[in-house]
Amino acid sequence: MIVRRFFVTVFAATLLVGACGGDPPPPPPPPQPDADSLARYQDSVRRAEEERRRLAEEEAERRRAEEARQRAIAAARATLEEMVFFDYDMSEIRNDAETALRAKVEILRRSPQVQIRIEGHADERGSTEYNMALGNRRAEAIRQFLVGFGLNENRFEIVSFGEGRPLQQGSTESAWARNRRGQFVITAGGNAINPGQ
Amino acid sequence: MSRVVNVVRVMSRAVALAWVVGAVSASAAEAQDELPGVELGLFYSNTYVPALAIQPFRGSFGGDAIAAQVEAIVGRDLRNSDRFEVLDSIPDAFIGSEVDYALWDRLGAVWLVTGEVEGAGDGYVVNLELHDVVYGEVREQGRFQLPGDTDEDFRMSVHRGSDEVVRWATGDPGMAASRIAFTMYDNDGNKDIYVIDSDGENLQRVTYYNDLTESPTWSPDGDRIAFSSFKELGVPRIYEVDRFGRNERMLPEVRGKGDYITPTYHPDGRTLAFTVNGSSTQSGIFTYNLEEDCCLSFLSGGPWYDVGPTYSADGRWMAFMTMRFGDHVPQVMMMPSEGGSAETLSPYEYGGGGFYAGPDWSPHGDLVAFHGRIDRAGRYHILVANLADGGRVLRQLTSEGNNEAPSWAPDGRHIVFAGERSWGFGLMIADVTTGRIRSLIGGRRVDLPDWSPSLPAR
Repeated sequence: MIVRRFFVTVFAATLLVGACGGDPPPPPPPPQPDADSLARYQDSVRRAEEERRRLAEEEAERRRAEEARQRAIAAARATLEEMVFFDYDMSEIRNDAETALRAKVEILRRSPQVQIRIEGHADERGSTEYNMALGNRRAEAIRQFLVGFGLNENRFEIVSFGEGRPLQQGSTESAWARNRRGQFVITAGGNAINPGQ
Repeated sequence: MSRVVNVVRVMSRAVALAWVVGAVSASAAEAQDELPGVELGLFYSNTYVPALAIQPFRGSFGGDAIAAQVEAIVGRDLRNSDRFEVLDSIPDAFIGSEVDYALWDRLGAVWLVTGEVEGAGDGYVVNLELHDVVYGEVREQGRFQLPGDTDEDFRMSVHRGSDEVVRWATGDPGMAASRIAFTMYDNDGNKDIYVIDSDGENLQRVTYYNDLTESPTWSPDGDRIAFSSFKELGVPRIYEVDRFGRNERMLPEVRGKGDYITPTYHPDGRTLAFTVNGSSTQSGIFTYNLEEDCCLSFLSGGPWYDVGPTYSADGRWMAFMTMRFGDHVPQVMMMPSEGGSAETLSPYEYGGGGFYAGPDWSPHGDLVAFHGRIDRAGRYHILVANLADGGRVLRQLTSEGNNEAPSWAPDGRHIVFAGERSWGFGLMIADVTTGRIRSLIGGRRVDLPDWSPSLPAR
């Protein structure tokens, strides 16, 4: 920048002198920068520029890695919070639920500070008090499944909402299927989720 | 007392026997609800229902202003008692101011009720008389204090008079002077507790928690209501309030973490029985002495999920729902109220799909009501198990819609339950003797009714 301004100044001065006409005194010789010092100067400028670029790239790289990590944590959190569903009037863990729960086990093993509240829910059929108990049995079945993989029982608390908090309103087969579920709420260690590699 | 013991002894012997069920031909629509070995049917004894007439009530000293109102309340109570055929549309021209037994006899009345309301201070006194038309004489009479007609105890005071008339005529208690507590959904999906008088009047909201609040139950003196609620803690705990929702207190976490649900009072009013659903090793039915704030006792449970205890009137037995036979086949069992071995009350069949829940023990005698479904495709109906008739007689009270959560009236004869019909939800009242069903409150999403004891004057 400084270099360019220097040359611009010299050039402008030359034009000015040329425009005067008449019998001008011989122009003073333009100041000749010392070739060595100029090279040194340009070199240092280039090095500074490279350093700056390197730092910026590092920063971007770091940011990309952090973003990837945050995405992985968000994905791990989503995996932990993914609901599982049950068959009508049953508390047995279904095959699809088993897959979802195994994925949670991996994350929970890597993230020992994470604690979870398991919520059991039922569809509207059957009686209210029966559904409270059924929700408990579902939550407890999930907890026992997780504990079966060696996770500490104290990391999980369970609660049943019975039929009181449906995910989907309506008295249809599809609404009922959505409402017979286990939900997962991270109650501690939410900022200590280790998403792994 | 000894009768109950005998019944249980009989039942123990009868476990292998087929269920004795009074069955009338089931309609085609109910044919799917038949379980091999158990026949359910609507079965009502052909009881004699005497005709009762009400002569227009008279008033004096200011009582004339409310005489017709008192008469209307008494008339409806006597209809609701299902013990009389109350004669309607008697031409006024036939009715003089004096009692004319010959006239009432010709109109077919067996009983006649007359009433006279007098102003007395801030309130009134109503003098009720029950006449035996056949013998042409006054059978009983009584004077009942009424507060002013804007007083909140006014209608209940009239109901107490009606219940006395029932007692005079039948020797059995009435149930008009009582209330029913229940839960009702609001538009946000929350449930709060409400109470309503037994005749469907005077709906009042008790709690304003705007959360999930369930399973209200009356104390034996009718002063308090216990229930479970998610309010504050986000997990269900058991609370107790007076019937205005005031003077709240929480049952302490006597059994650690878990859901504290389905409370019921021991008939002595001091002990509360309830369910804690925590881990499978900590769950079960417990009792706790509210009065002395001590003495947690474990009755039954473990991994079985025993829920919703209910005491026999003498406090010696307890019925409850259990899931020990499997998730989808809850059954009703009974056991000594101090804990002990339990017997199945519902018609459990190994491998069957029978679903029975929500038991409530009658305040008079050896009857337990619950709801059930014979197979997985069936609908839920109100059933009554009679433990006294040499075995287990199971009767079905309802025949349409879905019907859940029965609760006995203090007369041991009526049952309130939550019904679902094509038009919506409502609370309904069935008379066990005649099978008559009336609607208490309809068109709202209501649930888990609990009928109070007879409410004394205060």
